[in-house]
Amino acid sequence: MREPDLVKTGIKGLDEVLLGGIPRGNIILVAGTAGTGKTTLGVEFVYRGAHQFNEPGVILLFEVAPDKLLRDAALFGWDLRELERDRRLKIVFTTRQVFQQELQQADSVLLAEAAEFGARRIFVDGLVRPPEPHGGDRREAFHLLAEGLHRENLTAMLALESTFDDTAAARAPEEFVADTILRLSIDPVQRAVLRSVEVVKSRGHEYALGRHSFRIVNGQGLEVYRRVQAPRSLQREGGAAFDPTSRVTTGIPGLDEMVNGGYFVASTTLVVGISGAGKSVMALQFIAEGARRGERSLMITLDEPPAQVLRNAHTIGIDLQSAIDKGLVHLWYEPPQEFEVDRHFAQIEAVVEDFKPKRAVIDSLSTYGSALGASERNFRDFFHAIVALMKERQVTAVYNHENPEMLGMSSMMGEFKVSSLVDNIILMNWVELGDTFRHALTVAKMRAMPTSRTTHECEIVNGRGMRVLPRPLAGAVPVVPFAGYLGLISRAPERRAPQEVPEAP
Amino acid sequence: MTPKRMTPKRVGDLLDGIECLKHPCDLDLLLFFYRHPRAFLISERLAAYVGYDLPQVTHSLETLITGGVLRRSPDSTHPARLYVLTPGSTLGGLLSSLLRFAATREGRLAVIHALKQRHSLGRSGDGGPEPVASARATPRRREVPNA
Repeated sequence: MREPDLVKTGIKGLDEVLLGGIPRGNIILVAGTAGTGKTTLGVEFVYRGAHQFNEPGVILLFEVAPDKLLRDAALFGWDLRELERDRRLKIVFTTRQVFQQELQQADSVLLAEAAEFGARRIFVDGLVRPPEPHGGDRREAFHLLAEGLHRENLTAMLALESTFDDTAAARAPEEFVADTILRLSIDPVQRAVLRSVEVVKSRGHEYALGRHSFRIVNGQGLEVYRRVQAPRSLQREGGAAFDPTSRVTTGIPGLDEMVNGGYFVASTTLVVGISGAGKSVMALQFIAEGARRGERSLMITLDEPPAQVLRNAHTIGIDLQSAIDKGLVHLWYEPPQEFEVDRHFAQIEAVVEDFKPKRAVIDSLSTYGSALGASERNFRDFFHAIVALMKERQVTAVYNHENPEMLGMSSMMGEFKVSSLVDNIILMNWVELGDTFRHALTVAKMRAMPTSRTTHECEIVNGRGMRVLPRPLAGAVPVVPFAGYLGLISRAPERRAPQEVPEAP
Repeated sequence: MTPKRMTPKRVGDLLDGIECLKHPCDLDLLLFFYRHPRAFLISERLAAYVGYDLPQVTHSLETLITGGVLRRSPDSTHPARLYVLTPGSTLGGLLSSLLRFAATREGRLAVIHALKQRHSLGRSGDGGPEPVASARATPRRREVPNA
């Protein structure tokens, strides 16, 4: 089958959503209300064409003065004046009526002007839905316009102003005539706003359905982030190259024995527990162990900024900065305020792609839940996408998750129903014995591995970090080892009778 | 000298260099094309944008085209014409300096004042249908149907 001749927009992320670009010659309608980014998208389409793909272009304006357009474009680093000087761009100011009439002329001056320097793209800014002309057909009028553009083999992008919301705009007659429709929206999310672009239709090729987030970035232009849920191209070739029985050591003395030598490569491990139970310490030791073995390790921190993470690592004897300097550890902090899930996921994809880690930690999953809303499907879809990404890239990943219960657990995941997506679950608990809270660790789930599910005590020592204590703890009198109790995480542990205490192996 | 500040003498020197500028409408049209260097419009619409009567605008357009600072597409079956400012004309830097100065309100009024003075002193030629002395410094807007 013949591959379609696709015009790349050159807009970061948009060509991925369009699965390569837009078929050449398509009439592209960009619909949206004021402030949604139509002009920026259209100007960038022409700018990238002229600047990156050697496709000269024309920008047609009805209301915005060209000098203002040049000024605004300069904020994105687009030197339109230079393109004009090099005869790769023409900016023409006209009126809607002249434009409409001109496209119906056999000897159109406007189109001759475009053809004169070999224009391949045109952006028309500020089309409005005209009133029905003397009972005439608006769809027919738009069709005539489209025919005129098509005659010149121009790939045309037309910005169509909507004065109302999507549902009505979706039925606009222009949308039936256009080959490709990009609908831009700007929606309030709590007190922030989220921009999104949706490919409503696009004749002649496949594209990723749904609404994808985007930002307008100074010095850059548009950045489109593919919807998290959208299917990615599966790159399973790495699957054959690794031994699915290989294990990755945890970095916690005593824990490897409990998990049969380590986590499986590319497995997903959830560490669940209340704040302060030792999750972040475990994460740091997992990362440090990778660095010690010369494996690249990625740490994504949402709760603590890098300086704090480095300090925390230092207190348990880990020189994280040195590992970062050697290029073995990548520490990436993303503050959770105004979290945009598509953008965040795109950034993680990019980091994983570039850094190629063997290990990864996300601290913590609960912060995503807070930002995305635990009750919504967004969180589960996002987590599913992360898990799939890590598995595709053969990354052994550990996710911390804060369970709000102080003592014991009525549910491992609380309101976050994702336990079926993970391979291993480690529960971190406080156990109150006498007047002391002691750290407890239980391996609750190990997919494809037998596990004892016994609760072990662990300790965190300044300068040394965490370790799982042997069970039973020999010579620990008068401290009674965990083995001396029943029901440690049932909120009401009881001492075993001395004859019931298991003997040391 | 910064474009925002210019002595009357300097303005006069620039106008001497750019001989085709005789009437305030010439200047306002030039300023319009400075902001819209490639405009595809009917002349009625242009008249509405700059705020002068159509005969004056027609005359000023001819003056600018003859003076080599503006290019116009040939006649076609459609009444709209493509106007392209030609900053690279022989007038070169003189025109750019004047336009940068006149792009501000004060600068524009100063140039219009200079044009009127030159007219009263008889230093300029034919300004067109409307006497320079009576030309409005502040353009009046006029709606043009079907434009």
